Amino acid sequence: MKDAGVGNLGSSRFEALCQKLRPDLLRFAFWLSRDRALAEDVVQETMLRAWKAQDSLQDESAAKPWLLTIIRREYARTFERKRFVTVDVEDLIAQEAPTLAATDEQDIAELRAAIFKLPDDYRGPLVLQVLMGYSTAEIAAELEMSNAAVLTRLFRARRQLRVLCGEDTSLDPDE
Amino acid sequence: MMLCAEYKRALLADPQGATSEMRQHVAGCDACSAYTGLLLRFEGRLDRALRVPLPSSTAIPTGFAGPLAAPRTAVHPRRSLPRRSRWLAAAASVLIAAVVMGFWLVVPGRSLAAAVVEHMSEEPDAWSRTDVPVAQQRLERVMGNSHVRLRKAAPMVSYANYCQFRGHHVPHLVVQTAGGPITVMVLPDERVMRSVHFDEQGYRGVIVPVPGHGSLAVLERGETMDAKAVDAIAVQVRGAIEYLP
Repeated sequence: MKDAGVGNLGSSRFEALCQKLRPDLLRFAFWLSRDRALAEDVVQETMLRAWKAQDSLQDESAAKPWLLTIIRREYARTFERKRFVTVDVEDLIAQEAPTLAATDEQDIAELRAAIFKLPDDYRGPLVLQVLMGYSTAEIAAELEMSNAAVLTRLFRARRQLRVLCGEDTSLDPDE
Repeated sequence: MMLCAEYKRALLADPQGATSEMRQHVAGCDACSAYTGLLLRFEGRLDRALRVPLPSSTAIPTGFAGPLAAPRTAVHPRRSLPRRSRWLAAAASVLIAAVVMGFWLVVPGRSLAAAVVEHMSEEPDAWSRTDVPVAQQRLERVMGNSHVRLRKAAPMVSYANYCQFRGHHVPHLVVQTAGGPITVMVLPDERVMRSVHFDEQGYRGVIVPVPGHGSLAVLERGETMDAKAVDAIAVQVRGAIEYLP
């Protein structure tokens, strides 16, 4: 028997699913917002919305992209509500230094700081591809863009990152 | 015929998404082969960088009544980033990496292998050689959490745990074989394109792809088996695991 008020998965199953996906969701929100506290708020709000709308989730395997979409929208809503003023990225890096520097590898810490400096338009597709395992077509669908536009952003994201990290980019292609 | 610049642009956009045209190009171009090694090494670092550590409080409280909230972390103390390191060492390692064309699909697998080996140090007791099987109920619970189960013909399992690994909870098993204990990690969220062998810090093993279900890491400790024996066990274990819908 299905629990009252619960969608197709059942409450315990849905809860376990959210538990399993939560680390990925938090990381995604963190790279989106570049603010750990805000990321936690966004994920929490996302979970609430997902809980209320779980009847619309027909297929458990679709849960992750579904939740990531909610996170993106929720973050956009938060952004609108708070009407953020322009923030100096160096301040963001300093604020999140404990997270960015949480590694034994110096180059990883520097790479994290460089990711912070990427424009939102580049950082989002890159995180979806590398961290979430999205294909180009999936990113294009999620962001409502063409495949070509996604590939351009991914290309620029990596090229910029390599420059920011002091990599030897003499062999990198021009656009 | 693809040009080098086209190849590099495509590679920078999607290092894991090599098309047949790209493979064909790189097979006959030493310069692009070296560039591929260089970029895939960078990609391995990028993957590690994005996996920022999470606070231990990320678990969702039982019951949705308290709705899914993990306690918000306290304000972080401000701490400045360490100064930029010298990139000379990185450049040198990149040069070494660039020589090897075989890095095409291997680098992400290698960082995964390093993570598997690192995880071993967290549960040293798991390696005990024993004839006592783990409780069936525990085994079923550990496996069931990841929607897998062992077929009846599987080797005897002496240890089963549900471990945090790279942001996911995964089954960590130890099976007893004639050659000694073998660790198996079921990694539904970790894809590798082909088998990745590794021999690090006293652990020798292989990560094998499981199409549609991520991968499987199988490793032994102490060089009691050769690579072929580990491969054979990996095949046996892979056949013994049933992935549930």
